[in-house]
Amino acid sequence: MARESFDNIFLDLSKQSGKCRFAENGFAWKVSGGSETFTVEAGTIAGSQWSRAAKGYEVKVYLRNSDMVQLDGFAQEDFERLSKLFKNFYSMNLEHKEHAIRGWNWGKGEFGKAELAFNVQNRPAFEIPYSEITNTNLAGKNEVAVEFSLPANGDDTGTNGSLGGAREKGKKSGAGMDQLVEMRFYIPGVTTKKEALEGEDA
Amino acid sequence: NQNGSAVKKFKRFESYKRDNQFPPRVRDLAIVMDKHNQTIVLPIMGRPVPFHIQTIKNASKSDEGDFSYLRINFLSPGQGVGRKDDQPFEDATAHFVRSLTFRSHEGDRFQNIANEISNMKKEAVKKEQEKKELED
Repeated sequence: MARESFDNIFLDLSKQSGKCRFAENGFAWKVSGGSETFTVEAGTIAGSQWSRAAKGYEVKVYLRNSDMVQLDGFAQEDFERLSKLFKNFYSMNLEHKEHAIRGWNWGKGEFGKAELAFNVQNRPAFEIPYSEITNTNLAGKNEVAVEFSLPANGDDTGTNGSLGGAREKGKKSGAGMDQLVEMRFYIPGVTTKKEALEGEDA
Repeated sequence: NQNGSAVKKFKRFESYKRDNQFPPRVRDLAIVMDKHNQTIVLPIMGRPVPFHIQTIKNASKSDEGDFSYLRINFLSPGQGVGRKDDQPFEDATAHFVRSLTFRSHEGDRFQNIANEISNMKKEAVKKEQEKKELED
């Protein structure tokens, strides 16, 4: 059976890189020199996206159960090969998702199936998987605070140290050298009419 | 008149044009200062996310238990600060990232980043003023 493989790929913000193999029945990842293999069956794949990430370029695979798999470390030139194999093996487009890199802090927060995207001029600046959020609260007038789940111990990946330190749900913020703890948004008031009414009450 | 309309609109600053312009160090998922592009790159869920110095209000470092925290505050409406021409406050429906807090075990590095941010900010404000004086 036809297979395509890529080296130096990072699975779900793993510490170590590994080999990623794609075939008609699904894809698999194994840490270099390791024995345990992470697999995803073709039938569970709902969509896929290509974008710039930290180690290189990332293939983000959305699964039917609203979960996702992040594969980082591809080279820019790999796009064509990957795009072809997604079409041939899984009959789907590898969507080239360009991110907003203008450096602006205003846009629109939009709720997707698996993640909250902050879009700047209709391009995502970043995405927050719902699985990584532990708490949200109204921190002030027009201010929403989002807290992220952080493993007490940075080495806790949810995979018991296997799979090269790949991170399970709720452990992703811990992957960074600098770990995101909290994010606050300014969300404008609903209408001026309502504010005027509130003013009257006070 | 090109100048006239530029004054009215907020400054359309831009950190990067292409996604291969990120500093190589973003691969560590650490906060990276990119002075050349007046930008600070922050790691958010495995992605490097640039914020231009013009969007930043200030940064502060604190310590709690085993960790140091770095909080970066951004300019957003309703804070009573920030010049109106800096940001598109005329778009009443826009959401803003108001602050981001990171933690690490390296307090000294966080302190350095906080200092660098305020220096970069000071320089940007100074440059902006010099530009305005020239225009006047």
